Amino acid sequence: MHRKLFLLIAFLGLATAAVAQVVLSASTDKTALSLDDELTLSVEVTGISGNVTMPQLPSLPAFNVYSREVEQSTINGRTTLLFRYTMVPRFVGNAEIGPITFSYNNQTYRTDPITVRVYRGNAAQTTAQTAAAHAPLQADTQPDPHLPPLEAALSKQAQAKAGEPFFLVAAVSNRTPYVNEAVSLSVRFYYSRSFYDAPYQKPTVSNLFIEDEGSVEGKQTIGDMVYHYQEQRYQLTAAEPGKATIGPAAVRYKTGSSPFAAFDRLFGGAAVSPDRTVLSAPITLSVRELPAGKPASFYGAVGSGYTIKAQASSDRVEAGQAVNLTVTVKGPGNLKATQNLTFPALDGFKIYPAAPESGRIASSARSYKTFKAVLVPAASGIYTIPSFAWSYFNPDTHAYKTLQTDPLTVTVVAATKTESGFNFSNAQVSSNGVQALTNDILYLKMIHAPAENFLVKAGRLYLVNIAAIVLLVITFLFAVLGRKKLVRQKIWVHTKAQLKKASSAQEIADATCTYLAQRLDIHTGSLPLKDILATLNRHGIAPATSKAFAVLWRQLEAQRFAPAGFNANNHAELAAYASRVLKQIEEELK
Amino acid sequence: MKRWLMLGTVLALFSPIFAQEDLRQAEELYRQGKFSAALTSYENCLKNYPKDPFVYYNIGNCYFKMGSKGLAAANYYRAFRLAPRDADIRHNLELTLAAGGERLVPAGVPVVLHKLFFGLSYNELKGLVYILFWLTCLLAWIGLLRRKLSYWTLVACIGLTLCAGWLYARGRLEQENLAVIASPSAEIRSGPGTNFPASASAAQGHLVTIQDEKDAWYQVILPSQGLRGWIEKDTVEKI
Repeated sequence: MHRKLFLLIAFLGLATAAVAQVVLSASTDKTALSLDDELTLSVEVTGISGNVTMPQLPSLPAFNVYSREVEQSTINGRTTLLFRYTMVPRFVGNAEIGPITFSYNNQTYRTDPITVRVYRGNAAQTTAQTAAAHAPLQADTQPDPHLPPLEAALSKQAQAKAGEPFFLVAAVSNRTPYVNEAVSLSVRFYYSRSFYDAPYQKPTVSNLFIEDEGSVEGKQTIGDMVYHYQEQRYQLTAAEPGKATIGPAAVRYKTGSSPFAAFDRLFGGAAVSPDRTVLSAPITLSVRELPAGKPASFYGAVGSGYTIKAQASSDRVEAGQAVNLTVTVKGPGNLKATQNLTFPALDGFKIYPAAPESGRIASSARSYKTFKAVLVPAASGIYTIPSFAWSYFNPDTHAYKTLQTDPLTVTVVAATKTESGFNFSNAQVSSNGVQALTNDILYLKMIHAPAENFLVKAGRLYLVNIAAIVLLVITFLFAVLGRKKLVRQKIWVHTKAQLKKASSAQEIADATCTYLAQRLDIHTGSLPLKDILATLNRHGIAPATSKAFAVLWRQLEAQRFAPAGFNANNHAELAAYASRVLKQIEEELK
Repeated sequence: MKRWLMLGTVLALFSPIFAQEDLRQAEELYRQGKFSAALTSYENCLKNYPKDPFVYYNIGNCYFKMGSKGLAAANYYRAFRLAPRDADIRHNLELTLAAGGERLVPAGVPVVLHKLFFGLSYNELKGLVYILFWLTCLLAWIGLLRRKLSYWTLVACIGLTLCAGWLYARGRLEQENLAVIASPSAEIRSGPGTNFPASASAAQGHLVTIQDEKDAWYQVILPSQGLRGWIEKDTVEKI
């Protein structure tokens, strides 16, 4: 019995001891990441009960913390609290998350510091390993040898002023930026004593756009003194190449001199010190001009780690319905200052661009710019919205880089209602209910053109023209010049036939006279023989032939005036003789 | 020898099928929206059919879909010169020219008259004039031989004269050094160089008449606006 009681007491005692043991652990989801990435820091507290306070995070100058979640679970009376912090790195290099402290029942628990490696752009190691830090440890106050440049510059200035109770330092991440390249400016007010009412005056700038990026607080040991600081962060972008200046920032502070200083100050007493002012050193930047060779799609963005994404509100719409096209660019720097993306004409769509929107991504050094356009398809079909190009200048590589969105496919189905709500300039509604939506080119020809017709083929036969001309000329010459010869031949043939048929002297005489008249234009009506012979001579008739003709002529005259002395035989002989003489003349005329 | 003859016969029989196949492949690319690839295919096709108006028409379609309305207009114009009666070619040419603020049918000219004037291609018109000439020669020949010119010879002569005038007018248009603005916009300068001020700018698809050339510049006239000036050769496409 006693033994059982002892065992029960021992069990309860051990259980109570187990319940009372508090464990604090911290871990990150990755040990290496890029500037674009997010880091989740998980802090887990187990073995607690009742009201608890939040864990105390160390100063995190290398991160922007913008999200915090708490998760609570209780099992067997043991409560576990899980705190998740989402952070975005600010600088390239090794970033350390210092020890996290947690106070519970007048005891303070600490975690090990965690170091993560931050890379530029997308160069982060993809094989990020989960790191965990467990077990309490003492705070490490040694300076981090892997501080980023901005932090290192601030620390260096602070080291130089070690010992002063109040001082102000300012530093930039880059003194020789390109036009429109984002530059971080931090102004840090260190104080080792309490103060009252310390208004801050931000620095004045020239040739720079300045944007507030919020403030952080922290604690740092310089020399052998522990300082608290308040840091104001800005982002600067230069508008023009050349010199740009950042004037001094100022903090005007008052300190108290007695435990009742607050009351004394309330009543205007002298326990509060007069106004003192600390100034930061002015900074001069040398802004570089962007190199030549800007792509057509360069709109002025300078930096690295930009992303672009195109999105359509729907991939299936009816003809005439609107599709919202959104192209979002994210990246460092001030994207508001960049020029607007130009939407090219898209076949089959009417485009109505909207005003772009820009802003800063919450708790991040990155900004965004969104370009929107309303696309209205005119007719059904499957359309491809081509990719959009967007270029930026990367100051690390000193080169322009072009990003492309993925092409989008939109299926447009026929409209189920005619009221589209949009006014198409080419639209016409006919009386039969057919609505012309747009004027497009007609479709392709699926076949080759028909073979050349006979007209085209005839057009090539230009040699035939020459032949036709030659033939025509020949015909003309033949018709004009050969005519006389034909006539002459015809006269002789006709005369010869008449002489052959002649049965009287009169017929022989008529045939001879007709021949002379038609062939030699000698009209013998009243012309004496002498004149006829003279004419024959002029036509080149030989004297012998003329003499023969004279004989013929006299015989014809004799027959005409004394016909009684002639018989039929005489007529035939005379006709034969006339035929011979005229034939001779004909030959000589040739 | 016999085998070669048989092979030749088979190839001759199937060559129209092969010819249509390349068009089918190009059409498939066009239908998929791959206009650039379709264009390359049609341009290869043009090497085998340099006088095919339908290939020029299809090339014009590809350029139109790629947004190059100037080059589209140039190719539609080439197709129109070869096949002026084709309604599709006329439609696409008119649409493309209208996009550039130009008209195929000059203002004030009835469309019917324009269609009549371009009822035959230049080569067809030349063939018609040749045939009329041969007919006239034949009738004259017969008339000369018969020593009597017939009434039909006179009719043929009148027809030949009219068609020859028509051919002359079309020839003047054919010889006109027509070009189209092919770049998105082109500046017209007062001299052949960028040191001369730009007097006007013309959007792509505008028709210009080339008057002269010097180095990398053309002297042009914009008939629709009556402008005259110098333009860079790279910005225009000769038709």
